[in-house]
Amino acid sequence: MPATQNSIKLVAGKSHPQLCESISKKLGLSLARVGAFQYTNKETAVAVGESVRDEDVYIIQTGCGENNINDFLMELLIIINACRIASARRITVVVPNFPYARQDKKDKSRAPITAKLIANLLQTAGCNHVITMDLHASQIQGFFRVPVDNLYAEPSVLRYIQEHYSKKDLIIVSPDAGGAKRVASIADKLDVNFALIHKERQKANEISRMVLVGDVTNKVCVLIDDMADTCGTLCKAADILMSNGAQKVIAMVTHGIFSSNAVEKLNKSKLDKIICTNSMPLDDKVTECPKLEVIDISPTLAEAIRRLHNGESVSYLFNNIPE
Amino acid sequence: MRKCKIFVGSSHPELGKLVCERLGVEPAPCTLKKFSNGETSVQIGVSIRDEDVYIIQSASPEVNDHIMELLILISACRGGSANKITAVIPQFPYSKQSKMKKHRGAITARMLANLLVMAGADHVVSMDLHASQMQGFFTKPVDNLFGAPTLARWIRHNIPDWETAVMVSKNPGGTKRVTALADSLKINFAMIHTDRRRTQDGYSKKKALKKSTTKKLESTPEGDEDEDEEDNIVSEIQTARIVQGHVVDDDYPANGSAKGSSTKASTNDHLERSSILDSDVLGGSYDAAGSDDEDEPTSMNQEKLITLVGDVKDKVAIILDDMIDKPSSFIAAAEHLRLNCGAKAVYVVGTHGVFSDKCLESLFESKCIDKVVVTNTYPIGRERIEKHKSKLTVIDVSPIFAECIRRDHFGESISVLFDSLAAIE
Repeated sequence: MPATQNSIKLVAGKSHPQLCESISKKLGLSLARVGAFQYTNKETAVAVGESVRDEDVYIIQTGCGENNINDFLMELLIIINACRIASARRITVVVPNFPYARQDKKDKSRAPITAKLIANLLQTAGCNHVITMDLHASQIQGFFRVPVDNLYAEPSVLRYIQEHYSKKDLIIVSPDAGGAKRVASIADKLDVNFALIHKERQKANEISRMVLVGDVTNKVCVLIDDMADTCGTLCKAADILMSNGAQKVIAMVTHGIFSSNAVEKLNKSKLDKIICTNSMPLDDKVTECPKLEVIDISPTLAEAIRRLHNGESVSYLFNNIPE
Repeated sequence: MRKCKIFVGSSHPELGKLVCERLGVEPAPCTLKKFSNGETSVQIGVSIRDEDVYIIQSASPEVNDHIMELLILISACRGGSANKITAVIPQFPYSKQSKMKKHRGAITARMLANLLVMAGADHVVSMDLHASQMQGFFTKPVDNLFGAPTLARWIRHNIPDWETAVMVSKNPGGTKRVTALADSLKINFAMIHTDRRRTQDGYSKKKALKKSTTKKLESTPEGDEDEDEEDNIVSEIQTARIVQGHVVDDDYPANGSAKGSSTKASTNDHLERSSILDSDVLGGSYDAAGSDDEDEPTSMNQEKLITLVGDVKDKVAIILDDMIDKPSSFIAAAEHLRLNCGAKAVYVVGTHGVFSDKCLESLFESKCIDKVVVTNTYPIGRERIEKHKSKLTVIDVSPIFAECIRRDHFGESISVLFDSLAAIE
């Protein structure tokens, strides 16, 4: 007997309500009545306000918040667990920005691999599928025993560049050696040159010496990276590019974390513009930083949810933007 | 202690320090901090290969951050080839969410148990779990230590006339805990029941309730209880009305209209929640699935009936619970004991002093409560203790945890710690 038809239940976490709203609009579905709140002792509690029995549940929660990233994580785990106990057929978590993605290796003795821990936490809570975007290292996919769909913001980035800049004097720059592959792929697709900045890192979030490889004289430089946190790298890279005769420098990142005084740094920096996706809530930062522009990625996420639910291929989204 | 490392999480450094001092070891060096984007970071500063690792982390006001820190610490120790990892969690967070209360609720305590085991914990030590059944949530051994011997000793040493005092349970669910301590002190006990139904006409309903309670108690005597003892306890039943969280006289108007700004705030808070929770799809309110031992958000503006079963006249009443979290039920119980039932003094005693929000302040301001006694399983903060020290007593339980760690490390029995303090004195 074939399984009975089931439908999508979209559950919005508290981390990024605007993204959830635009995904639900794109899918033409309203958000499920699931509420999370905190007790006075700061423990998170969740109430699932409608039946999810035998439904396809999608929980949208991104990793963000300087003060409550762990609260959002617990909230996500408890929502997953509540849906699991309420007999949902399949639980997919949609985490545009995967939290703790940078703690993905044992870079020092006895360092925890927290990204692996998060993967295990999500699976222990009961999730069956993960959708995320531009993982810091794609190896994180291997930390899970359940399937992970790692979507790319690249098609959106490509389109933005094509729409706003002429190919003639464009050059794509990677702010570090690790991102060279990502940058090379974009440069290939745009058929332009690329350059690379090498940095010697001494401590996390601190950079010392930077060396530019490539010629950027009189070019419009596009710095591309997967995330911008304190923005130290990007600002220094912009300095170096300008001092090497670049016409102007713009930066494009997928995840705009912009923690601590990043906004201030960006305002003071030589960057002409910084473009990032709305994988994290950025409303207040857009008003504070006139250089910041946001690309909407909700169509890609919504389409991934639709395709996953209907059992269609998701790989189309790796190279195309749904209309 | 050789081949043993004790890590102290950032939730409750004072307790960790006391445990380490008692064991005569230094806390193992580790760096616990947060990255600028809010992510928790852990660095272990000493080799733990093939050692017994104990990690002390309690619940705290930043509960989720400290859970993550604990999980990452455990995971880091597992990755660093520790021999055995024991999580010492004096106050187990999320322990109130240990059952499916509403339709489709999460059993968060069980999930947390799974998370701990998955991260790599081999053994868990806690104290006075909200429900001892929670031990079954773990696939690894759990040692649930008891705060009762410590509290009993405090009562014996500090309450005058404790021999004639009465232990009171403020709700029927906690009676077992109360009787256990009353038995060990060989004193009487009483019970308070709060009826959450709305009373239309106070007096007649009160009468009816009084009758039914008497009947119920007479018809279901507990099998293991002596007959004459049962009679002794049920000899007196006293009922009063609670409006806005406070005991009122019989002639108070039945429709308790909102008064006072402080109660208004909490009412608003409740309404906000009820918009999601008390909705029709849930098929009922908290009361429907409610249980006795929870002081879940009950509406403050609803009139309730409070009933005392037992006799406290001219005696010291000791209200005992495992956790002092929200003040309203304690204050209502204390007012009833003091104003209507003639108690000489009211002590509020609990193992875990969570004191969320303004709880400690409200208890402090209540004229009917003489003293609040808790242990230091949960961080309260020195300033807060200092400010309320005329009424608040915090008992140190670090010797119990230290002894438990010592015995566990050397493979000795832990059960002697359950009944008495003889092993650590």
